[in-house]
Amino acid sequence: MTRPGPPNENLPTVKLVVVGDGGVGKSAITIQFFQKLFVTDYDPTIEDSYIQHTEVDGQWCILDVLDTAGQEEFSAMREQYMRKGDGFLLVYSVTDKQSYENIRHFHTQILRVKDRESYPMLVAANKVDLVHVRVVSEEAGRELARQLGAPYIETSAKEPPLNIDAAFHELVRIIRNHPQQEEKQRRRRKLAGCTLL
Amino acid sequence: MLVRGCAGGELRHSLAERTKALAARCHALRSPARADRADRSAERRRPRHRKSQTRWYVKQPTWRLWGEERVDGAIYTVYLKKVRYHRPTRSASSESDDEISHLEWETVRVRFVKAGTVERLVEALATDDGELESTYVNVFLATYRSFAECSRVLDLLLRRYEALAAEDVVPSAVDTSQQHRKTLVACLHVWLDTYPEDFRQPPHHPALQQLLAFTQLHLPGSELHSKVLQKLAVFSAERNGLGVGGGNVCLAPGMRLPAHHTSTYRMPHVPHRHFAEQLTRMDMELFKKLVPHQCLGAVWSRRDKDRSHDAATVLATVNQFNAVSFRVISTVLVEPNLRPLERADILASWLDIARELRVLKNFSSLKAIISGLQSNPVYRLRKTWALLQKEKAELYDELARIFSEDNNRWAQRELLMREGTAKFADTVGENDRQLQKLLHERGSPGVSHGTIPYLGTFLTDLTMIDTAIPDTVADGLINFDKRRKEFEVLAQIKLLQGAANAYHLPTDPMFDRWFDSVIVLDDREAYQLSCQIEPPTNPPKDRRPKKINDSNNQGHRKNDSIASTSSSNSSQFYCETDGAGNAWKRDSLERRTSPTRLSHGSSSSSLPSLDVSLSSANSGQKAANGKAGGASPAHTHTTRNGPDFYIIRVTYESDCVETEGVVLYKSIMLCNNERTPQVIRNAMLKLNLDGDPDGYTLAQVLPDREMLLPANANVYYAVNTAYNLNFILRPRKPTPEPVANGRPRNKRP
Repeated sequence: MTRPGPPNENLPTVKLVVVGDGGVGKSAITIQFFQKLFVTDYDPTIEDSYIQHTEVDGQWCILDVLDTAGQEEFSAMREQYMRKGDGFLLVYSVTDKQSYENIRHFHTQILRVKDRESYPMLVAANKVDLVHVRVVSEEAGRELARQLGAPYIETSAKEPPLNIDAAFHELVRIIRNHPQQEEKQRRRRKLAGCTLL
Repeated sequence: MLVRGCAGGELRHSLAERTKALAARCHALRSPARADRADRSAERRRPRHRKSQTRWYVKQPTWRLWGEERVDGAIYTVYLKKVRYHRPTRSASSESDDEISHLEWETVRVRFVKAGTVERLVEALATDDGELESTYVNVFLATYRSFAECSRVLDLLLRRYEALAAEDVVPSAVDTSQQHRKTLVACLHVWLDTYPEDFRQPPHHPALQQLLAFTQLHLPGSELHSKVLQKLAVFSAERNGLGVGGGNVCLAPGMRLPAHHTSTYRMPHVPHRHFAEQLTRMDMELFKKLVPHQCLGAVWSRRDKDRSHDAATVLATVNQFNAVSFRVISTVLVEPNLRPLERADILASWLDIARELRVLKNFSSLKAIISGLQSNPVYRLRKTWALLQKEKAELYDELARIFSEDNNRWAQRELLMREGTAKFADTVGENDRQLQKLLHERGSPGVSHGTIPYLGTFLTDLTMIDTAIPDTVADGLINFDKRRKEFEVLAQIKLLQGAANAYHLPTDPMFDRWFDSVIVLDDREAYQLSCQIEPPTNPPKDRRPKKINDSNNQGHRKNDSIASTSSSNSSQFYCETDGAGNAWKRDSLERRTSPTRLSHGSSSSSLPSLDVSLSSANSGQKAANGKAGGASPAHTHTTRNGPDFYIIRVTYESDCVETEGVVLYKSIMLCNNERTPQVIRNAMLKLNLDGDPDGYTLAQVLPDREMLLPANANVYYAVNTAYNLNFILRPRKPTPEPVANGRPRNKRP
């Protein structure tokens, strides 16, 4: 099963969506994951800027990450992109209480859009490097995650990064282990066909 | 100037050239000619995959990276550039580079500032031999705010000029020094012309004053001097005259047209093209006012909540986008009793409008409509969607594909690249049958259209650039390469802003009235209405802790359906769109006092009636808090056991004279355990009123009288549901003190 490099064809694509308030460092997490070295030639408009072949637990997949950082206030289009995600990284900043409280709202919105009782999600408490201005404790974070039925991870995108790769990989695991994934795929397709009638 | 070739692998340089080309066109925006477009698409065409990047550089290599050069306070990237020996003329050479045989070359050394101190960056406004480096000047002026204050840059610029003037005593340096100074003056001209807002700084305009003192001393009577004087005159005129009236906008009496006009815009029977044109006019006005540098990551995505005025023009665009989406959602859902076919007609109508927006190349409202249709409360109405005609469903798919997030929004980027500065829409995918048909039917329109992009993509790109590229490099020098990168995006925005001048659209005030009159539902209200229309098939259990109140077992349900007709006519039914600043300001000043008019207004409805008797699929949810649309309710409070609610309309009564003839309603949700102070608080929140709820009274407007609600009543049970749920909120009259009649107390939000 495991091979040294990514196999070429027919890898499953996993769509991950990064959500959270503006200013919580979503973009930094995404950039850190895709640009291991901060390169000056970074071009955000290239088609595969946010696509990466990744091996998680010996299985390769294509990670396709959607991060709409900067578009948080276009509240009307949020559900549109939520519909596309296979799994969600719910990011808040430990320095911003409001962003922590809003996680609940994103969670509810995702479940509604998916019309499901549960969905693969991971709560990421970001900016944990900013110890002195931290206002949301780890306990509070874990408690929130527990209530939402999602795992919890602490992240920092600042050098040296903490848990950035781990967060994405963990989310892939959550998606793989989540029941009824197949059923969902079929349902979506059926609905798409439905609109054509 | 349009050097398209590049030595293999010199990505950086190619980008610099593209920026340069874009910048050049920013100066000649008036006529987005065909040639321009061809250039653009050729130049901006992207590789499908990063691996194949080298395919870009098939042309003659004319640039080669030589290396980096470090001096005190700056780092340069140095290129060797091949140029022809014999230039026919200076100006012609820039256009005909490609056509002339490239046999005779010489190599020159060109350096670009990569990073530097502010001082060095200001010096670099002129090249080594004192020439104006127009690309650099454009990048600098568009982005300097992220690393320096206006006053600092001006100061450095003027001091540099004075230092050069002092050098004049050395005879050998006279020529270059003069050239340098000429260039600095040219920069000041560009700055004043392109970014006059930088110099506004009310009330005393210190930067402009400083510039005036400078020109009086060094360049008296010059063009720059008179330009500064003129700007000063304009600013002080604004301060003395218009500035005062600014906050006081009020519709002239003539604008208050009779009610039946807004019924033109009642879904689904609306004039689609006209509708699309009016949406485009609204978008165009905002887009032209957009200040591109407010989109920069350092400004937009890093702004504090209380510093949002720094990005006011961006916010205005975002608010308009949301407002359009909310109108889609609202018109589809607001009448729960429509037959499915009738509702499908409303969907179809929005699709027809969206199709016209595609022709108009208005990608902002187009995406807003698609987003509205894809919002959960609308999208989940499967039965309604299933009734859509086949060709409408196809149209929907084709339009939605434009905004696919796949491949980093490739479809959208590609389309914008192709049509951005084209005269009219002419790009369709091979599978887009409906759009093909449309463009075929229309042929090439007689008039050309501008383009309005969806701004969000640019905002994300700029946020990502801001995150990915550090502000400073080693030694703390300002990373100017980052600014060049950002300018590529800003230049595109500017280019499209110029192209937007091609729109010539009539203004229809009644459309604006209709637009402002549509009820906006917050996402909970929308979801509940949607569930009423089509109950959830598989209601998520984990959000229903109390399963007792199922829809067929109403423990505690009031069945009176409230056919509260929304008002209309003279009424401004404005509901908020997350602080759509100006609209709100305008409307809030147009309040009307007469309660009789209020009931009169509701009798001649031009808006769909809102019939709310929702079932309890949502017990245990948070109660309404009166804040519409936002993702983050400011403060929620839980209803303990209230599955039911009404939507009531509250108008605020003030004695404001200039508001005659218009009633401002706000819809709020009334839950069954809410008492008077809470309802007043909710209403105040929506009406943007500050103060103590105890300072207000709330009364239901009945046909013959008003029913004042007791100070601590359970409003849900107190209201008279036999009539429309229209309420008046007014300041509690201080009993001992007689209020002078007609004197406006004018309590403004």
